[in-house]
Amino acid sequence: MDYDIHVTPMDIGKAAVTVSGLSKSFGAATVLENVSFSVDEDEIVVLLGASGSGKTTILRIIAGLETADSGLVILHGRNVTSQPARLRGTGVIFQNYALFPKMTVEDNIGYGLRLRRRKKSEVKKAVDDLIELVHLGDHRKKFASQLSGGQQQRVAIARALAYKPEVLLFDEPFGALDAQIRTTLRREIRGLLKQINVPSIFITHDQEEALELGDRIAVLNAGRLEQIGTPFEVYNHPQTEHVATFLGSANLLDGKMLDGNFVAGDVSLTVEDEVTYNDGEDVKMVFRPEDVFLRRPENLTQKYQRFVDGIVEEVTFVGAFERVTVAVNLPGKDTIIVSRPKTETAAFPLVAGQAVPIGLVRFRIIKPRAR
Amino acid sequence: MGSGLSRFRHTRGFDIVKPLSIVTLIVIMLPLILLPLASIFIFGTASGLDTFMAALMAPEAIFALKLSIVTSFWATVFNVVFGLFAAYVLSKYDFWGRNAVIVTISLPTAIPTAVAGFALLLLWGPQGTLGRLLDPDGGQIMFTAYAIILANIFVTFPLAFGVIMPVFETMSHSLEEASATMGATRWQTFWHVTLPSLRGAIVGGALLTFARAVGEFGSTILVSGNLASRTQTAPLYIFAKFNEGQVEAANAIAIVLALFSFAIFSILFFARDWLEAD
Repeated sequence: MDYDIHVTPMDIGKAAVTVSGLSKSFGAATVLENVSFSVDEDEIVVLLGASGSGKTTILRIIAGLETADSGLVILHGRNVTSQPARLRGTGVIFQNYALFPKMTVEDNIGYGLRLRRRKKSEVKKAVDDLIELVHLGDHRKKFASQLSGGQQQRVAIARALAYKPEVLLFDEPFGALDAQIRTTLRREIRGLLKQINVPSIFITHDQEEALELGDRIAVLNAGRLEQIGTPFEVYNHPQTEHVATFLGSANLLDGKMLDGNFVAGDVSLTVEDEVTYNDGEDVKMVFRPEDVFLRRPENLTQKYQRFVDGIVEEVTFVGAFERVTVAVNLPGKDTIIVSRPKTETAAFPLVAGQAVPIGLVRFRIIKPRAR
Repeated sequence: MGSGLSRFRHTRGFDIVKPLSIVTLIVIMLPLILLPLASIFIFGTASGLDTFMAALMAPEAIFALKLSIVTSFWATVFNVVFGLFAAYVLSKYDFWGRNAVIVTISLPTAIPTAVAGFALLLLWGPQGTLGRLLDPDGGQIMFTAYAIILANIFVTFPLAFGVIMPVFETMSHSLEEASATMGATRWQTFWHVTLPSLRGAIVGGALLTFARAVGEFGSTILVSGNLASRTQTAPLYIFAKFNEGQVEAANAIAIVLALFSFAIFSILFFARDWLEAD
């Protein structure tokens, strides 16, 4: 069996979690295909993907609640691939928190230590410390049914932290909460995790959540790991079409590389990339709506390349910015989406039907992936 | 739109249908349920408390009550443990024939108790398929207290299972998974997480089984032999005494059984919140 060569023994040594070459099928359906990545000590990695992308399966395989068809799970250098869940020492925060309904908050938190037959005084001390850490002092004698969603989540985290887990695994932890609480809560939890320095893996389908929570984001698509990197890298340097479109919105254009330029119809853009391209190679050009300028580049300090001319089709006000649909005449493309900040909309108002010059301040070339 | 009646109802705020239907309800229930029960108490206490106590304290009567309680107790223990085990297996594993097993467990609900008793006799009686293998002198099961327990187990078989199984099925699977990731063995998870969540269902199922077993008549009269002070349970005692014309003796035990049923019913009815509380 061949494992991913990108995971070297050195990585395994320093990483808190390494998964290597995970594959899994349920009957004829392939859920995971050769997924490999590592999570460093003190790092938060977010597995981002739509439902059915395999992210939950990865989490369950790491926890030992599911077995992979092939591949390895290594926790702090220990190969746990064939070990049952109870011997792995992971801390799973389930989507519904899975607090034990007949136990109080403090009994829930102490459960892992009681299973490990720690002394009563030791359990009490640990529980007291954790209750203080997650600010649940007033609720220690309560049952899960008497707590709010956010409080239940904090109990679930404290309960997993009690036995010093190898890694915390969060299964869509904010899915059950309403939008306003989500934002506050995920900042709170990121703060908490950074304070205690426990390696963590989150799974989510929410790109905003991924960008805000993760030190690194792993983007999954149909059981494959498309890209892993910092939020900045993944957002600004997407390596695949799926990554570009799943995180934020993106305009895509098919073209060819010719002599260091991206060429599509009449358009030719100079590509400044460390990557080398073969002449005539088929590629895709990706640019974000916010990387487009709909005016002449006077006084513009950013690097600007002339793209094409277009006609404003529709202007929509969407709160913090304005979204403009511009009709263009490009091979395989009749409109592009542009977003403009308030400073722009105030200085250069646009109306439908207006002809505009279109320029780009940033774009990416994506090589079609050989599957 | 509204008819004369409905306009009348709205303007006057009085609905004649309401008191009429409530009275009808009670009038129907009175001769069918309430009066028969009341007559036990009226008749039983008519000839004075002394007669009642004397009837109750008769050695045969006390034996019958004790036998009913003991045999029902062991049938309850067996059926609760079995029901718990069956519910655990059937909710956790899917296998070929799973539905057939569930139907079989529930089958005794639909079988007349006399048929159940008769079937046990055919199997365990002196000439029965298995009974003939037993020692004819002293090794027999039929016409002993064990036969009563067997009959009780048969007729109350689905009750505890029927209460426990639905609770198992609605229980979140992630509770057990959480317990496992925290380091618990299967047994620890069952003991600390699964069982406490089933507390209400177990108590409820046990009370139901016990109440049903104490009152069992049809199967018991066939398998027990109905021997006074040896294999005569309380319901059989009532039947025997009534046949002998000792109505006071029968009535005393009937009152005890009725009060006992009220007690269990009250627990099930009023303590439901406590039993199902999280």
